[in-house]
Amino acid sequence: MELLVSILALGSTYALLAAGIVIIYKASRVINFAHGELAIVGAYVFHSAGFLTGTTLTALSLFTAIVVAATASALFGVVIYFALMRRLLGRPTFVAAMVTIGLAIILKAAIVVIWNSRSVGIPIGRQALYNFAGGGRISWIDVISVLTCAAAFAALAIFFQLTRLGRQFRGAAENPLLAAQRQVNINLILAIAWSVAVFSAALAGVLFGSRSMLSPQSTIIGLSGLTAALVGGLDSLRGAAIGGLLVAAATYLTARLISPTLAETVPFLILLIVMSWRPWGLFGTVEEINRV
Amino acid sequence: MLPEPYQRAVIAIVVAVVLCLPVFSGDYFLHLMNLSLIAVIGAIGINLLTGYCGQLSLGQASFMAIGAFSTAILAQRYGMPFFVAIPASCCAGAAVGFLVGLPALRFRGIYLAITTLAMHYAIIYVLTNYQAIVGPSASAGITVPPPSIEGFKLTSERGWYYALLIAAAAVLMFSLNLARSYIGRAWVAIRDRDIAAETAGVNVPRYKLLAFTISAALAALAGSLGAYFTTVVTVEEYTLELAIIYLAMIIVGGMGSVVGSVFGAVFITLLPFAVQRAFDALPWHFGTGIFGVQEAAIGAAIIGFLLLEPDGLIEIYRRIATYFERWPFRYREIKPSGAR
Amino acid sequence: MYNVRVIGTAFVVLAAACAATVGARAQDYKIGYITDLSGPLAGSYTPTWQGFELYIKALNGRGGVNGRKVNVTIDDDGLRADRAVAAAKKQVESNEVLGIFGLSLSSTQAPVIAEMQKVGVPVASTFSAILDALPPAKPDYFSTGVTFEVAGEAIGTLQKRIVPSGKVVGITFDSVGGRAANNHNKLAVEKEGYTWDEVLFPVRTADFTPFAQTAAAMKPAMIVGHYGAEQNIGVIAALRGAGYAGPYIIAAYGASEDTARQAAAQAGSGENIYMVSRYAVPTDNAPGMSDLAAAAKKYGIANPTSMHVTGWVLGMFAEQALKNCGAECTREGLDKAMQSVKLDTKGLTGGPIEMSADNHYGPTYWRLYHWETDKFVGVGDWLKKTGLEFPAK
Repeated sequence: MELLVSILALGSTYALLAAGIVIIYKASRVINFAHGELAIVGAYVFHSAGFLTGTTLTALSLFTAIVVAATASALFGVVIYFALMRRLLGRPTFVAAMVTIGLAIILKAAIVVIWNSRSVGIPIGRQALYNFAGGGRISWIDVISVLTCAAAFAALAIFFQLTRLGRQFRGAAENPLLAAQRQVNINLILAIAWSVAVFSAALAGVLFGSRSMLSPQSTIIGLSGLTAALVGGLDSLRGAAIGGLLVAAATYLTARLISPTLAETVPFLILLIVMSWRPWGLFGTVEEINRV
Repeated sequence: MLPEPYQRAVIAIVVAVVLCLPVFSGDYFLHLMNLSLIAVIGAIGINLLTGYCGQLSLGQASFMAIGAFSTAILAQRYGMPFFVAIPASCCAGAAVGFLVGLPALRFRGIYLAITTLAMHYAIIYVLTNYQAIVGPSASAGITVPPPSIEGFKLTSERGWYYALLIAAAAVLMFSLNLARSYIGRAWVAIRDRDIAAETAGVNVPRYKLLAFTISAALAALAGSLGAYFTTVVTVEEYTLELAIIYLAMIIVGGMGSVVGSVFGAVFITLLPFAVQRAFDALPWHFGTGIFGVQEAAIGAAIIGFLLLEPDGLIEIYRRIATYFERWPFRYREIKPSGAR
Repeated sequence: MYNVRVIGTAFVVLAAACAATVGARAQDYKIGYITDLSGPLAGSYTPTWQGFELYIKALNGRGGVNGRKVNVTIDDDGLRADRAVAAAKKQVESNEVLGIFGLSLSSTQAPVIAEMQKVGVPVASTFSAILDALPPAKPDYFSTGVTFEVAGEAIGTLQKRIVPSGKVVGITFDSVGGRAANNHNKLAVEKEGYTWDEVLFPVRTADFTPFAQTAAAMKPAMIVGHYGAEQNIGVIAALRGAGYAGPYIIAAYGASEDTARQAAAQAGSGENIYMVSRYAVPTDNAPGMSDLAAAAKKYGIANPTSMHVTGWVLGMFAEQALKNCGAECTREGLDKAMQSVKLDTKGLTGGPIEMSADNHYGPTYWRLYHWETDKFVGVGDWLKKTGLEFPAK
């Protein structure tokens, strides 16, 4: 039972990360390799904003932190788009993917320069909600993680299914030139995509930092998010959710039941198995696998 | 090969400078050059696989680790001389490359990259266990004795410089020939449109595997030379970041160009040191956080080149060469027969 | 052709940078410090460097040693051996250093030591030492730091003060250093009659919950964590979440009060957190601590921790070595001087640092601390270790 709760909590964080990657892919066919770094940097910003005035998180500082982190991440997404990604429109998506790798390197170095590599934790919701007989417990943060991710997914689903802008996303992704000629505002769509993606990354980062801790090395969660997105299908939000849970489950079950040291490799093996069977992911659109 | 006399003169000057470099450089600069030469070998390897054949691979670091550990085991444990250990390490690398290439036949693009990443982790896991359990001093790594013939040991920077120069030159000639041959053309065809290549008669699986094998062998060679050069082998050196740095080298140098790999390898290897030198020279005193900028420099180089010069340093070089070739005219000469 | 202009400007700037030099006065002692300031363990090594730098600044403020000031060149190795070696060569050649201090993780040290032995430059490492410093000591290498194997044994012995018997679980990275520490810890506790089990997790783990749950399921009497600072924050939180409320010992390879405070906040409670450290925590109020606090205040380090103390003591070691070396100090002279250091650490560790020709590590002193609300309080006295009890592999 405790295992299930842990898998749900971690899985929802991975699912949120995967969702961010999916959004960018849906809009532009670019795979964002900097997602983990964006998440952790966002969480660091949150931490700094929250602890700016004291050594404990009060209600006011928590609120400030949320506002600051939310606006900063959304704005940063727009900046990334206009400064970097926009210039790569029309080039092969492979190039854009490499640029995100470069961005990832810079962001990771930024943590060193700005925060001096100090590892921090975000002490939100660490109190126990319910204690199991066997010794484990559910903390508030576990519940908050799952609920927040569910809410985020619901919002995204509504956006993509029901709003006009959401439907235009796929058109923009498949053929930007054609979509632009049909009066789809490509720049607006892509800017929104990046903004929402970076915001969701920061959100995932904060949730992750609350359950675990933050350090420049924590950016590895981006790889888990990417694996989750690939497993679920790079253009499927539903796939992102399932993929996130699958990756979390694979990691946990391997660590607990097979061997802790293999926990790192198993998600990749799951990915390989899924890809051998359905190369476009569990819920992705069936298409020629010619992506980078 | 070099029709114009001035081209031969330029090549002669470059060769002279390269050969006489140790005369007017200190040990430190030579050390950096040696690191660059080892990187050149690895960069050519990954360029053949990713630049020419289009197979995106993140396994470079693990192949280098295989080469380094093979050398360490053969040289330290079994006392093999270097002219046995180095080729054997290349063979080990080739074998592993072949195995990694097998799943590659199924996947493309990001999926291929993830496959190679999974292999990377698997290989590193095995090597970590080896170093911890079998290695003499677990935390300090395996010591490799310097290469020696008849009691003459290669330990000085100068000696290494010439040895590495020979090795890099050999790899360079080998790869340039390879790129010009049918194999190279087949690779490029696979990169551009492998389905079309198949219909044109190229045996795609065979050439993909060949690319993986040769690339891994070269990476293992670089790892092996690196092991002899630094005299200690530790598994912690061979991280995913290292694989990305090699990708950065070929992006900056020019994907699909062997000579570009040379430029890229030297550039990326020297970049952090140049950045640091620049900071040292500035009058202000920064805190230690500034060292993060060295790391960021590689990311900035990747982004800068992709945005501004996607074909890499080799393209800049070509532009400069063409400019001088035409100078003082703006256009090439049209010979009566139409030949260039 | 704007690219050519950009490239050209870059060349000019770089050339100018190379031409300019930052000079030190000819009479200064020149030493070098290389450590990880931007890589995976920068969070632990940066405060250590800051401690060393503080000591040198305070020393220079007093007029230096033997009438000469000390000039330190700092370089970053990013936790990579090739960069460490390159930095060492640069410092030896361009900065003309007499000796190199600091270094980072054990995996980066061996190549540097090998290179420096070739040119006869003594190297003194702090936190993270390798067995080469223990007898029979290899030349040109000294350490005032923590060796995984020795630390593992010390912790094993000190654990008796918390719980006298039962099962001990050691958690560590799946890395060579971690395994070495675990092994020696295991040997030490098994000798005392405990049973031992262990959990290894991959080096790049970000979420520790499954490993913590595995460890908790073993129903241990005590858990020890052998890794750097940051993992402790995540592991302690995960352990408490998994229902393990018993004693947890931080093995101080870079951890400090900051780590414990963050961990306590993350876990919701600071109960039952211990630490074993070679160097004192500031709240121990050792006599030497007031010097450190004064320097920290003067030069702007807000909250010195035991990691700063680690670097500070290396600074003390450097001062005494230079003093013994004399006014006309050479690299050989510095090496000999280091061999004869007998340093009174003023309570910053449990006893003096004593080097000899054959032993470049000396006896080490370890203390067990218990986290109480907001600081570490010592449990019992310092434990003296004069070497490895169990043979290293």
